[in-house]
Amino acid sequence: MARGENQESQTGNVPAAAPGPKPASAGGGKGAEGQSVVRRLQSELMALMMGGDPGVSAFPEGDNIFNWVGTIAGSAGTPYEGTSYRLALAFTAEYPYKPPKVRFDTPCFHPNVDAHGNICLDILQDKWSSAYDVRTILLSIQSLLGEPNNDSPLNTQAAGLWANQEEFRKMVEKLYKPAA
Amino acid sequence: MGHSDAASPAPAPAARDARKKRGNRTAAKLKQSKLETRRGQWLNNSGQGNDGKDAKVAASPTGAGSNAGSPILASPHPPLPRRRVDSRSRGSDPEDREEAGATGLEVGGSDLDSPMHSPGSDKSQGSGCGTQRKGFSGNGHGPSPSSGSSVWSSSRSVSDAEEDTGSPEDENEVLDDWEAAADALYEDDSHCHHSSVPTTPPPAPTTAAPANAARPEAIRSKARAWAPDDKFRPQSLPSISKQASFPASIGNCWAGMGMSAAQQGILSLPVSCPICYEDLDPTDSSFLPCPCGFHLCLFCHKRILEADGRCPGCRKQYNTASAVEEGGGGAKGPTVGTGREMANIASVRLFRSCSMGPRY
Repeated sequence: MARGENQESQTGNVPAAAPGPKPASAGGGKGAEGQSVVRRLQSELMALMMGGDPGVSAFPEGDNIFNWVGTIAGSAGTPYEGTSYRLALAFTAEYPYKPPKVRFDTPCFHPNVDAHGNICLDILQDKWSSAYDVRTILLSIQSLLGEPNNDSPLNTQAAGLWANQEEFRKMVEKLYKPAA
Repeated sequence: MGHSDAASPAPAPAARDARKKRGNRTAAKLKQSKLETRRGQWLNNSGQGNDGKDAKVAASPTGAGSNAGSPILASPHPPLPRRRVDSRSRGSDPEDREEAGATGLEVGGSDLDSPMHSPGSDKSQGSGCGTQRKGFSGNGHGPSPSSGSSVWSSSRSVSDAEEDTGSPEDENEVLDDWEAAADALYEDDSHCHHSSVPTTPPPAPTTAAPANAARPEAIRSKARAWAPDDKFRPQSLPSISKQASFPASIGNCWAGMGMSAAQQGILSLPVSCPICYEDLDPTDSSFLPCPCGFHLCLFCHKRILEADGRCPGCRKQYNTASAVEEGGGGAKGPTVGTGREMANIASVRLFRSCSMGPRY
């Protein structure tokens, strides 16, 4: 019952502290709430390291388990083949009930990714389910690369160019600046 | 004093030994043969010690006046002897108490070297058979007040009832079965005392038997189930095979009833909540809030109900799904969901209570 009480009592101040620059302290000071998030993230990390999904990987950035760096390899048969993209995942104390904030660190020419790396993906917004995890997020973004939703583009130029896969591929390579 | 002090901690190991002994037949046989001889020794001594002063002396320093025999009994199992003492003080006269002290003393003194002196003291209680049978039968037929192991006690009760079909005159024939039954039962000894008032005259021919009518079950219940009247018992009698068959049958019912159900119910489900990654307890594992079959723990379910109330597995609203399942069209929002949740919990509790006995 302590768990439930903690959840209830702390639901109020979670949003204030969660997006802060020091989520680790939030995790440490949040009691059961933060602990459960940390526990889940640690379990996910273990699963990712053990699972070895091809093309996706993720690891906490520094000592802060609330900020991860993910890597996605472009799938074969798509304009993104041979490229690799870094993403930043920022988890809140409400994870997994609320999705993490996911952003491309590596510039990505894609109909659903804007110039700042923001991603328009339903499962990262209204279609989020707490059953998703880092792995499924990265796999979803990986598949999004090859199957953009051109009906609600963030990058209209990319959306318009998608029909011409050769030109699109050239744009991808031109704008691709892999992390050192 | 020294004797009783030394003897007092011994019955507990002896009882434990006796329990382990079921699985160890050869050792049991060995010990029993030893005990046969000790029993003879004690019987000789008890006749003399009945009126001896030293018995009283030995008992009085440790014993609290009213129940001189208790110190030896009371020390190993503090909760149990209280009740025994009551029944004893009701039914016994001063001679009995003196002799109780003598009994304990003799047992402690002669069997100090052996952890198995408890059966020896047990045998010394000649009248134990009649009263013991009564106690056990009462336990078997009445509602068994067993706290944790209802299945165990019930399985024993069945065999016990079978044993009771034999009349006391058949003592020798029934003896083996009875012994096995009592041996398996004596773990529940704490439940037997209330019904063990010595109304039936004990058929045992031991000299000390009639006087000790109230006492035997106290000592016996701690020890292995020995036939009290060794005069009737052949030396080679101890049928340990039957005793050993009890744990086996218990194990069978354990495996048959409890574990299979528990395994089928629980082990096929996810071990941890997919949301918070905490381990699912049986309540969570049987908690199925959505027809899509997505399992999650109650905490996460509650949390999701407080938010958008959609099943993480299928994204459907929890309460609409539950409303459909309940057949009630009235979408009362979260209350429907929580009501169903409560129903689930209730059924889960039922399931757990059913499977509780065999598992623990």
